[in-house]
Amino acid sequence: MSATTYDQLKVLYRTLLVLATVGTVILAIGLVQFVYFEPPGQTTGVKANIVGVYQYDPATKSTVGADRSEFPRTEEFAAKVDWSSLPNNLVVDARWYDSFGSLRGLVGPAPPSSLAAESVIPVDVPEGFHYVLPGRYTFVVERVKDGAPVEVLGRRFVLVDR
Amino acid sequence: MISTTTPPAANPQSRLRPGRYRIAFALAALVVVALVASSLLNYVYLDTIPGRASLYGLLAVALIALGTFILVRAYTRDRATRRKHLIRAAVLIGLGVLLWLLVIDVFLFTQSAGPGVAAVCALVCLPTTAFGLLVVRRMDRNHKEPWRLVLVAAAWGAIVATSLVVWGETIWEQSAQHALVPGPGLDTSLAFMAGILEELAKGLAVLLLFLVMRNEFDDVVDGIVYGAAVGLGFNYLESISYMTNLYSIFAPENNGAVAAGIQWYGRQVLGLFFGHATYTAFIGAGVGIARQVPRMRQKILAIVAGFIVAIAGHFSWDAWATLFPIENTLFGLVEIHLRTLIMTGPFTAALIALLLFGIRYEGQNLLDQMHKEAASGYGAILPEEVAVLASPWRRLQQRLQALNRAGFRAYFKVSRLQTAQLDLAMERWHRERKEIDTPLEAEQQLRNRVIQLRHWVTA
Repeated sequence: MSATTYDQLKVLYRTLLVLATVGTVILAIGLVQFVYFEPPGQTTGVKANIVGVYQYDPATKSTVGADRSEFPRTEEFAAKVDWSSLPNNLVVDARWYDSFGSLRGLVGPAPPSSLAAESVIPVDVPEGFHYVLPGRYTFVVERVKDGAPVEVLGRRFVLVDR
Repeated sequence: MISTTTPPAANPQSRLRPGRYRIAFALAALVVVALVASSLLNYVYLDTIPGRASLYGLLAVALIALGTFILVRAYTRDRATRRKHLIRAAVLIGLGVLLWLLVIDVFLFTQSAGPGVAAVCALVCLPTTAFGLLVVRRMDRNHKEPWRLVLVAAAWGAIVATSLVVWGETIWEQSAQHALVPGPGLDTSLAFMAGILEELAKGLAVLLLFLVMRNEFDDVVDGIVYGAAVGLGFNYLESISYMTNLYSIFAPENNGAVAAGIQWYGRQVLGLFFGHATYTAFIGAGVGIARQVPRMRQKILAIVAGFIVAIAGHFSWDAWATLFPIENTLFGLVEIHLRTLIMTGPFTAALIALLLFGIRYEGQNLLDQMHKEAASGYGAILPEEVAVLASPWRRLQQRLQALNRAGFRAYFKVSRLQTAQLDLAMERWHRERKEIDTPLEAEQQLRNRVIQLRHWVTA
């Protein structure tokens, strides 16, 4: 094996190692990002009481029927939260996310007592659309600290049929 | 008529080959166990359409895996038994593909978007993926890989790798959605999931090709070609999956075709070479470099390094693409392209740099070997042929001259002669570097084959 040939192979090998170092830095940044948004030691043990998810009438802004986990796409729906189940020293919010992870409804953040008038949190129909998009929706009641949600106090999943 | 057989692939005295096959067998066994577990768990716990598709598709995956193994091994057998093995492989793969298409169409895509839409999505992705494979294969300017292995790599990416990740991604995604705060933390976790699981599933194909078909896996360039082919296969099925899914979501709002079309453009045009193809090509580059570095520690480091780059590239796109929001205006069209260029462009550029350097390195060494073969006086490579063989452009010119002179038959005859001569140079290169476990007689058989082909061309 000539020295030149081996040197060329070494260049390839070392280039790959340099790229892998860059890759490791990228993955490390990702890990830091994850820890920043999911800080450890944030569990308070508090549980929010999500009363249920119901069909929603936007005209009367009220819920209809029984608690369900599946809806046709032609129906609008909303979650009902018992804010009194949460201690008032917390700052909380409630959010709906669709299957793409887009925010589709928000109440708060505020102390639970300030949200008493907003116990029904409907899913928003996207602008320009007739109905909600089908897929899996996530409803969460979150504890907020320094403007960012740090703990999920209650969670419900809802399926919207195609 | 050429009647020579392919040189024997195995050197009975080699202690390397059984080791490689043992590792390959262990990896294949792991894949099968993972697929079985994945399918059963999906069926039991998901109880949804993907769960059923996964379970029923298991037989298809087994048929394709067995057929592929028989296919790649068929070419190491002599001509007399090769045909029998090829037919067996073709029947098994054909049955597997038909069954898989049936499962996919009936239980997955047709359920959400209908068989017509699923078929259209599959059809429109076919020419772009075929173009991608053509380009990727042509990147190896000195010594092109056989189509059968490039297609096997793409099929693994499309069928086996996608099946392998279903279970892992479902478990990870569901656990994360039940445990994490929705938002950037969850998104980061899912980006890690896609990067790690999908690159491991795709990279397994490249590793198995390297272990089982080392004679066709020469260096970093081959690794990049096979890796990119696996990525293109994966991208093909993922494109169909996203297109049909989005079609079914947006069709009631009369936007189904537009949503599917945007996915097609993003994945099959803009992201054809920038996405999965680039990531998995890095794994191939790592395996290709491992093929040639002398020490075991270096080999392992090179393979691990390839996987790290691939996972990091994939992760960065999934985690940080949202940092570049796309406006809902005409400028959004420019932003989509800029985002891909900025996010994945550096990885693709680094890969192209590795590829170009690899081609140069391979080319210089093949030229050196061709000079040595010409000087040996065996007559397989003549001194005046070296300059032509060393230049892809001049090789093409020579083939075109044959085409003008005597039609397509002559073109292909000259092409086969050139390929055999390059095979010989490659064999000599690996032998000189002590990277080969075929016996010396294999080299002489290649030489005889070149000489016979030359007589054939002349005749």
